[in-house]
Amino acid sequence: MTRNLSRRSTLALGAGLAAVSALPGAAFGQAAKRLRMTWWGGTERAKRTQDALQVYQKKNPGVQIDTETVGWGDYWTKLATQVAGGNAPDVIQMDYRYIFEYARRRSLKPLDEFMPNPLDIADFGAANIDGGRVDGKVFGVSMGVNSTCIFHNRTVLERLKINPPDLTTTWPQFAEIATAIAKAEGRRGFFGSTNAGFNEPALEVWVRQRGKALYTDEGKLAFARDDIAEWFDYWDQMRQKGGAVVGEIQALNRQTTETDMLSMGRAAITFAHSNQLVAWQAINKDKLGMTAIPGAKPGQYYKPSMLLSVSATTPQGQEAARIVNFISTDPDAGAVLGVERGVPPSKRMRDALLPKVDELGRAQIEYISAIANNVSKLPPPPPKGAGEIEQLLKRVYETVSLGTAKVPDAATTFMTEAQKALERA
Amino acid sequence: MAAITAHERPAAARPRVGRFGAQDGAAYLFLAPWLAGFFLLTLGPTLGSLYLSFTHFDLLQAPRWNGLGNYIRMFTSDPRFYNALSVTFWYVGLSVPLKLVFALAIAMMLDQGLRGLSVYRALFYIPSLLGGSVAIAVLWRQIFGYNGLINEGLSVFGIDGPSWISNPQYSLVTLVVLRVWQFGSPMVIFLAGLRQIPQELYEAATIDGAGPVQRFFRITLPLLAPVVFFNLILQTIDAFKAFTPAFIVSGGTGGPVDSTLFYTLYLYQEGFAYFRMGYAAAMAWFLLTIIALFTALAFLTSRYWVYYGDEGR
Repeated sequence: MTRNLSRRSTLALGAGLAAVSALPGAAFGQAAKRLRMTWWGGTERAKRTQDALQVYQKKNPGVQIDTETVGWGDYWTKLATQVAGGNAPDVIQMDYRYIFEYARRRSLKPLDEFMPNPLDIADFGAANIDGGRVDGKVFGVSMGVNSTCIFHNRTVLERLKINPPDLTTTWPQFAEIATAIAKAEGRRGFFGSTNAGFNEPALEVWVRQRGKALYTDEGKLAFARDDIAEWFDYWDQMRQKGGAVVGEIQALNRQTTETDMLSMGRAAITFAHSNQLVAWQAINKDKLGMTAIPGAKPGQYYKPSMLLSVSATTPQGQEAARIVNFISTDPDAGAVLGVERGVPPSKRMRDALLPKVDELGRAQIEYISAIANNVSKLPPPPPKGAGEIEQLLKRVYETVSLGTAKVPDAATTFMTEAQKALERA
Repeated sequence: MAAITAHERPAAARPRVGRFGAQDGAAYLFLAPWLAGFFLLTLGPTLGSLYLSFTHFDLLQAPRWNGLGNYIRMFTSDPRFYNALSVTFWYVGLSVPLKLVFALAIAMMLDQGLRGLSVYRALFYIPSLLGGSVAIAVLWRQIFGYNGLINEGLSVFGIDGPSWISNPQYSLVTLVVLRVWQFGSPMVIFLAGLRQIPQELYEAATIDGAGPVQRFFRITLPLLAPVVFFNLILQTIDAFKAFTPAFIVSGGTGGPVDSTLFYTLYLYQEGFAYFRMGYAAAMAWFLLTIIALFTALAFLTSRYWVYYGDEGR
């Protein structure tokens, strides 16, 4: 019944749309360049990106850019479906995690042919250009540099007279601070820190500080069962002392800015990425502060927060490359985009931005230079199946934080299932 | 109708066939949009998915033949698959009978000759219209959340309620409640069925001294059996296919700890989150088999409990 209906209405709608879309072409008959751009992110990013594209369209009459944006979770589903259906957007926001997969499957256009004109990224510095290189060719242009970090609620910590964690805070000290916050506040349902046992970027820093990594260059697991067991145990202990959010409440987190435990007023500290300060501060009334992931050892890394790529199938490669160039290097775009996607790697964009950057921007730029001693080299891109393992970590850790599994058993389950996921992928 | 008449005519009437043939043509012409939709949008993709269920297919590269690989993984080495099956069976097993009982109870209440019946009927039907929607699932999340309506209510009595939707012990139950709450459509059908039962039967039974319980079990239920049967089949199929509530309430994860991982949700994750379309297609075909089996079972047993009242013919 419902199927019949939807089928019919879809057909009718399709016919209607076809008729409507034929109209402007017939009426004006001009060969306007029409492109599509897609990105993931929240409302703040959508606003800034659309404004920047408006500037571009004003400068370049005859170019029309249609935009599509969804959250991170749905983004990769949508993009894969579009690519499979031969309907990929022309300009695509790409992540370091996925660029190898897409480039090697020939879904992206190598951008070398557009350099240096119209795409001039020579002032990025070699390291920032190489972040978007796959097998020797440039497939992505970095839009910003970021790193993992923690945010803390400055308003709450100042009121409680507790010193926030800083670059020298070790993991045991961090647990003490979090527990102290919960005790001092003494309110039911309020905890020191978000329960980050499920948080893959935080786990990655933890294993890297131990001289290991999440994955080897060959795409195998590069840490041992003991590492994950101690990680689970660390958060489990903290939860039992009240320092970290209990499982039942943590499970309400949908990995969005709005449902984060800090934003929901359930914790004073959360784990995030440095460029996200803009989005987090936009929806939090309290003042937020930012510092490195605990451990006081190199484990973090500078990472291209996002890359811009061009679809292999676009008929407008040249124009798409011009748009990429505008967004990632043009000071006019920088004035609108700010540091919402991270600190721009382009020198001319950054130089124009620095004098007029706001407090959030300055905090971010200062953070990136302050953590120089906490970073080590960029890891190899994660293998296929890594996305599944990220979800696996969340699922298995939930059994610990909800008290349905013991830490040693959960660690064993995680290792077995993660191996399986890598073999399957 | 015209086509049927044509076939019934003896072969001697050949000259007229052409004319009827033209009418057939007109009929097919009018059917064409539906037929095109059926072949292109339903049958084609359905058969395509059968092929895909024997392949590896990650959307980006062409499908690669994998034989029975997907089915073998499904039945021999996928604990999440069995968990999803068990969650779904619990969901169907709990929600379908509860919903039918609830719908029948309300229908019988409304059948007492209330004034303003159509208003009540509409009111009770509204959840059915809204229930499958995303907005209601979001609302459900708020109601059963940690600071939700339910816990606010409990706190009045000094009870410190759990976060229902994020506690694996209760999360599935909240989804069952959501489904039972949408009792409107079976209720309307029950109500129509109740109206069909001749009042004389009740009068005669009352004169013979039958109480309300006896009247219900001896008259209402047997005469309503075809309607119960119809509702049972429809609701069972619908419950097996449920997706939206679990997807929204759990944020697409089927969590906490896979306690709301409906079969369809796991299918979606395999297909659209991990890009194993072949495996997802195999799962879809297995679900089709399950639903077909249940429906066949219902039809086979129906001759023992469904009374159509036309045996005398």
